[in-house]
Formats: sequence, C-alpha cells, structure tokens
Amino acid sequence: MIRKEAIRLISKEIGDNVIVSANGYISRDLFEVDDKPTNFYMIGSMGLTSSIGLGLTLQNPKKIIYVFDGDGNILMNLGSITTIGVLKPKNFIHVVFDNSSHESTGGQPTNSQKIRIEKIAKASNYKVFLATNKNKLRKILKRIKPISGPIMIVVKIKKSNYVSRRVELKPKEIRNRFMNYLKNQKN
Amino acid sequence: MKEIHQRKIFDYLVKNKIENFIGVPDSTMKYFIDQGFKRKRVLIATREDEAIGIASGFALSKSNSLVFMQNAGFANSISTITSLVQLYEIPLIFLIGWRGYLKKDAPEHVKIGKIQPNLLKILDLQGKIITDKNWKGSCNWALKKLSNNESCALIIRRVSL
Repeated sequence: MIRKEAIRLISKEIGDNVIVSANGYISRDLFEVDDKPTNFYMIGSMGLTSSIGLGLTLQNPKKIIYVFDGDGNILMNLGSITTIGVLKPKNFIHVVFDNSSHESTGGQPTNSQKIRIEKIAKASNYKVFLATNKNKLRKILKRIKPISGPIMIVVKIKKSNYVSRRVELKPKEIRNRFMNYLKNQKN
Repeated sequence: MKEIHQRKIFDYLVKNKIENFIGVPDSTMKYFIDQGFKRKRVLIATREDEAIGIASGFALSKSNSLVFMQNAGFANSISTITSLVQLYEIPLIFLIGWRGYLKKDAPEHVKIGKIQPNLLKILDLQGKIITDKNWKGSCNWALKKLSNNESCALIIRRVSL
C-alpha cells in the first residue's frame, strides 16, 4: 500500500472526524483524495502535528481527533509522545504513515528503519496497532472504535514516485474553514 | 520580578479569560508557574515549539492561550513562529524570561540574551517589558492584542543573579 491509498482509506472511513495532517506529502495526499472542512493541513512547522492535535483534543473532548503523522515528522518531536502519554486523551488517534524515509526531500532514511516507533509509543501509555496491508488497516479502524485513546496506528507504506499536488488553499483559508467547522459544532 | 506580582499576573490573566498556560519552565518566572500549578492550569511541554503547537490547537478551538519560556527556548522556536503562528495568524501571548539581560549573567545566556530584542524585531513580533510597576498595563496591552487576533510578547527581565 502506498501512502495515498492508506490516507484515502482512513479518511473515507472516519467521515467527518477531525484530521490534523503533517506538512509535506501527507497533507498533499489528503488534500487530493478527500478535501473537507474537518481537515487541518499543516504547511510548515514540521514535527508539530501531534502537538496541535493534542491541543485540539483537550479542548474538544467529545470529538475524535485524528493526527496524520509521518515517521520523520514524529521523530522530530518525540517528546510529544510522552506529553500525550501523560495526559492520556481518550479521543486522540495518532496515525503514523511509516516508510522509514523523508520521502518529500529525496527519500533519505529515517531512524524508524532501525527503531520501532510503536514501541516508543507503547512505553508512553499508547494503545498500539500495526497495519501492514489494507485489510489489516480496515480491521484496525473497526477494532479501535470502542477503545479509549491515546491510540497509535503505525501504517507501513511503500515508497512511491507518485506526488500529489500542493494544497491549493491559503493557510488563512485552511484556518478559517477549520475554525468555522469547530465553532458550528459547539453551538 | 517579585513573587507577589508574578502570582498576581497569573490570576489576572485567568480572570481575563486566558484559559491555557503551556510552556517550558524558566526560573525567572517560577512564581508565575507555581501559581499556575496551584490553580491546576499549567501544562509543561518538553520543548518550546511543542508548547506553541499545543497552544495553537487550543487557539484554533477559540480558547485563549499563553506560552511561557526562557529566551533561549524562544530562539529555538523561531521557525515555528514564522511557519505556524504567523503563517496561519494564530493569536498567542508569549511570556519570555530574559536571561542575559545583565551582561554578567552565566556564559550560556550572554549571546542569546544580547540578541533577544533584535529577534523580536526581525520577527515583527510586538513585545513589552513587563515589570513590578507596569504589570497590569502590560497585561491589558497583551490581552487587547489577543482580542484583535494578534500575537505579542511580554518579557520579564532577569535583573538579579
């Protein structure tokens, strides 16, 4: 499975739940396969997807927040896993698309080739699932429904030459659309 | 800054609808942080940029946030400030402890302390020095900025070592 297929599968399955997606190809793929107001696309600030997700999770306890992260991204902010593990937000689902490489900068290797991110998460109070193909991923998405977070799903993906187009919304448009969605939900 | 004023600042900001205080501890503002612990409203992050990320998640949900850090940690966060806070125009109050304000401060603080005012300037982040005398006015200034959806910084100088 390539990243774009995995992103489509999860995004369609979870419907209008919130997704915070990491900068680089992850946000580009999500924008291309399933653009919706519940998506918050990050453009810069690599590493902080899970942190933004954590803030959203704590302020919106009745909403399930999905974080679409990459292996390179979460490795830049490993401390975040411990902060999330201490606060244990029930509505936090951390999806890590793991190709053990910095694909958008030329495919350089990341440490997830040798160190398993799911083990770090498990040591930090996450419930952890590993998806190595689409079938397993579908099953995991069903299985986690009654389970309280924090949950991490590590989705093993293959490198691919396919490149999605850039997110065409301006940052302020992404922000306004997303904030309006949250605001309307509260009323 | 005196203990009493640090504690008053915290309570004043809470009274004025700042809901989240997220950051990395700094001894210059230890009573401010301690007051936050007493009120059970402080979240300690592992890094300053992580704190800004969490605060941004709150701010996107219309919950007012302050991030606190030492000036060295502020310098660590420059790219996060430009590519998250300023790119998406997310309003936050930065409370920054300024080590290296005194020239005789510990060696690791001297250079970064010297460039602190310039860092704010080149980032176009408006800041005010907050003191024992002007704390209420400075807080009001920052709260006004936040209500206009602008980010700003309050700086506490380290005046004794």
